[in-house]
Amino acid sequence: MKKSRFWIIGLALVLAVALTGHSSAAAQRAAAAVPGGADLHGDGCTVIIVGKDASTDGSVMTTHTCDCGICDWTWRHVPAADHKPGSTRKIYHISQYQTWPPSEGLKWDLVKKDFAGIEIPEVPHTYGYHHGSFGYMNDRQVAIGESTIGCQRRLQNPTPSAKIDITMLTLLGMERGGTAREAIRVMGSLAETYGYGFHDDGEMLAVADPNEVWIFEICPVGPLWTPESGKPGAVWAAQRVPDDHVSVCPNESRIGEIDLANTDFFMASSNVVSLAVEMGFYDPQSGKPFSFKRAYSPVEGSAASTNGGIQRMWRFFDLVAPSQKLKPETPNMDFPFSIKPDRKLSLQDVMTMTRDRSYGTPWDPVQGIRGGPFKNPNYFNRRAPRVIADGRAEYTTVTQSRAGLPDPIGGLVWIAFGAQDTACYMPFYAGVTELPKSFAVGDHWTFSRDAARWAFDYTDFHVQVVYSEAIKDVHAAQAKYEAGMIARIPEIDAQALALYKKKPAEAARFLTGFSLNNAQTVVNAWWKLGDDLLVKYNRLYLYDVEKRSYNRSQPATPDWWKKAVKAFDILMEPDKK
Amino acid sequence: MTKRIPLGLAATAVLAVILLAAGQAVPKLGLPILTTSAGQSTDVTTLNIVLDEAAVMYDYCDVPTAEMVADGVGLGGRESGPGFHVESTIDQAKFPAGTPYKAVIFAIGASMKGMGASGLTLESEEARLKKVIEYCKARKISVVAAHIGGESKRGPAGSDNERMIDAVAPFADYIVVTADSNKDGRFTKIAEARKIPLTEVEYALGLVEIVKQAFQ
Repeated sequence: MKKSRFWIIGLALVLAVALTGHSSAAAQRAAAAVPGGADLHGDGCTVIIVGKDASTDGSVMTTHTCDCGICDWTWRHVPAADHKPGSTRKIYHISQYQTWPPSEGLKWDLVKKDFAGIEIPEVPHTYGYHHGSFGYMNDRQVAIGESTIGCQRRLQNPTPSAKIDITMLTLLGMERGGTAREAIRVMGSLAETYGYGFHDDGEMLAVADPNEVWIFEICPVGPLWTPESGKPGAVWAAQRVPDDHVSVCPNESRIGEIDLANTDFFMASSNVVSLAVEMGFYDPQSGKPFSFKRAYSPVEGSAASTNGGIQRMWRFFDLVAPSQKLKPETPNMDFPFSIKPDRKLSLQDVMTMTRDRSYGTPWDPVQGIRGGPFKNPNYFNRRAPRVIADGRAEYTTVTQSRAGLPDPIGGLVWIAFGAQDTACYMPFYAGVTELPKSFAVGDHWTFSRDAARWAFDYTDFHVQVVYSEAIKDVHAAQAKYEAGMIARIPEIDAQALALYKKKPAEAARFLTGFSLNNAQTVVNAWWKLGDDLLVKYNRLYLYDVEKRSYNRSQPATPDWWKKAVKAFDILMEPDKK
Repeated sequence: MTKRIPLGLAATAVLAVILLAAGQAVPKLGLPILTTSAGQSTDVTTLNIVLDEAAVMYDYCDVPTAEMVADGVGLGGRESGPGFHVESTIDQAKFPAGTPYKAVIFAIGASMKGMGASGLTLESEEARLKKVIEYCKARKISVVAAHIGGESKRGPAGSDNERMIDAVAPFADYIVVTADSNKDGRFTKIAEARKIPLTEVEYALGLVEIVKQAFQ
């Protein structure tokens, strides 16, 4: 036999091992679950948290990859309002997943058809805020990022006795929370009084303001709860992330032991321990301290034991603190609550982490032949290993709460529609009084050039064909429109501040105009980018628009891919040599 | 929990008396039972917890086929896997593996998230339910329709939730609903038209006493 023949047969064997190994990996991934119920892989959303002394610019940051694939992506601004004594606030059931055809109207109008049956006393003043699937930033710079964590099955309460879902809870937190702590107290208290759950179960929220950031985790208390019981209709805890630390929530509970005597770092509902004891989730006689995550939302496994199924926890900590040499074999529940990063993180660093695909790790989605000839990370298996940049994102947010600036200027929410790697973050200040009309419309099932989101899907779609080449064009656009905008923010801050000192309303008008104009520019650019990619890589050739020529040998199919194809032929059709 | 049970029992006992006074007799149904979902919403979890609380043993499968139901207690030894969940609290000393079920309880409520996780569409879920119910009817296994998700698990005619109701309720031998689920009287009309008993409770907690009466 020739030497090359040995090589090809060897490659075929490797391929066979890879193919058979895939099914066992799937079985391993299935092992990572909440023991009492929900499969974690049914959920999606990653939250990254950065304390003020862990960021290069002193801002407190939170992120949210709103991973779904079939959810509503629209955004709205809700203005601040004053309310007369005796006013009430209607509560609606809001499903994260429910959508309506655009012909029937917009989600945030239609959810009002799903009245939960209660009106709660309104507060004298509600803050203005920006919201998508959740509340994200109010005009006091209180910011939120969300991640579903699941809970013990017996805690779920999908019955109508639970009046408040997580989306509604975040909207109430935005309306009533002047600080992170106040938002947490408001959300916790309302959930206890009116019952939490219905569409949702275990949830985590990162709640930030210019001074600090907390992780707030909440679970229902089971379907047999009634308001007449006099018991809390939710169980929750909150823990503050140290100012010089960063943390993450990859759909897993993060709060372990709690010290309620340390009120500067912990808060919780009155039933936080007693409910666990009553339900048999915690035995005080065990000699072990109470742990919120182990009692209410335990997860078995590690990045390694699940073959990357739950590798986001390890990946994040390894990215921010490589000096710690944290191991992927470490059970996820044993990772620290937070960590001091090796170096402070910039806004750009955080945005880059939301785009992380675990390249270079054991779960690199393009290692070997997985990405196809053009190294497409979406090619092989889009759900496993589960990486931070999932591709199903409706949108991703990065919030910044910045001390030293008036709230309307200090608060920023950066929004990127669609898959993070091909999207562009657009800034919206807390003081903005309206969001683009193109952000308020559209759905997954009707292509529309009126919907901003489709511009990003349009580009993303055209990148998939020749990913390794087309992504370079996207990176160039991101450098211009995203990195360029980050660099301009100090200048915009200064202009807004000068106006604010004279007349705050002028600053609001300026910031609104700036944010809307920039968004329109970016959306237009992404429509054009999609057009340009179609032309440039049409038919898998390389068209040069300026020279009006084309190159049929580019983009080149790599030799390793051709060899892999040969190996596959030998493996699958051994008679055709 | 230890304090809540007596309170809960007292409340449900009162509710049950009220319901019985209103002429909504709770039928006696046989054991063993299988619980499942019609639409893959989490309401089946509530149903199972109600049964746990009432100390009524059950087998549970989220997506049983007629063949699985035919395998009886233990569901033929099938185990949970991705998109497929089984659970059993049945004492097999009392009801050995393979004992035919006497009743199947369907928790009705459509969830795109739940169906997606199980690899189902509305159409395939309807087809599955049709076959299971046909099997139950042929073997005289009681079909119990439970709608306990309230108004939000309802919708206009033809909507996901209503299609799940259409797939089960008109074929049921007994219907249990929360008042919120039956605001428009749809389940009452079905029960009246088919001359089958219907029980309405305020909260899921109220079902604890009802299932005790039905299955003990």
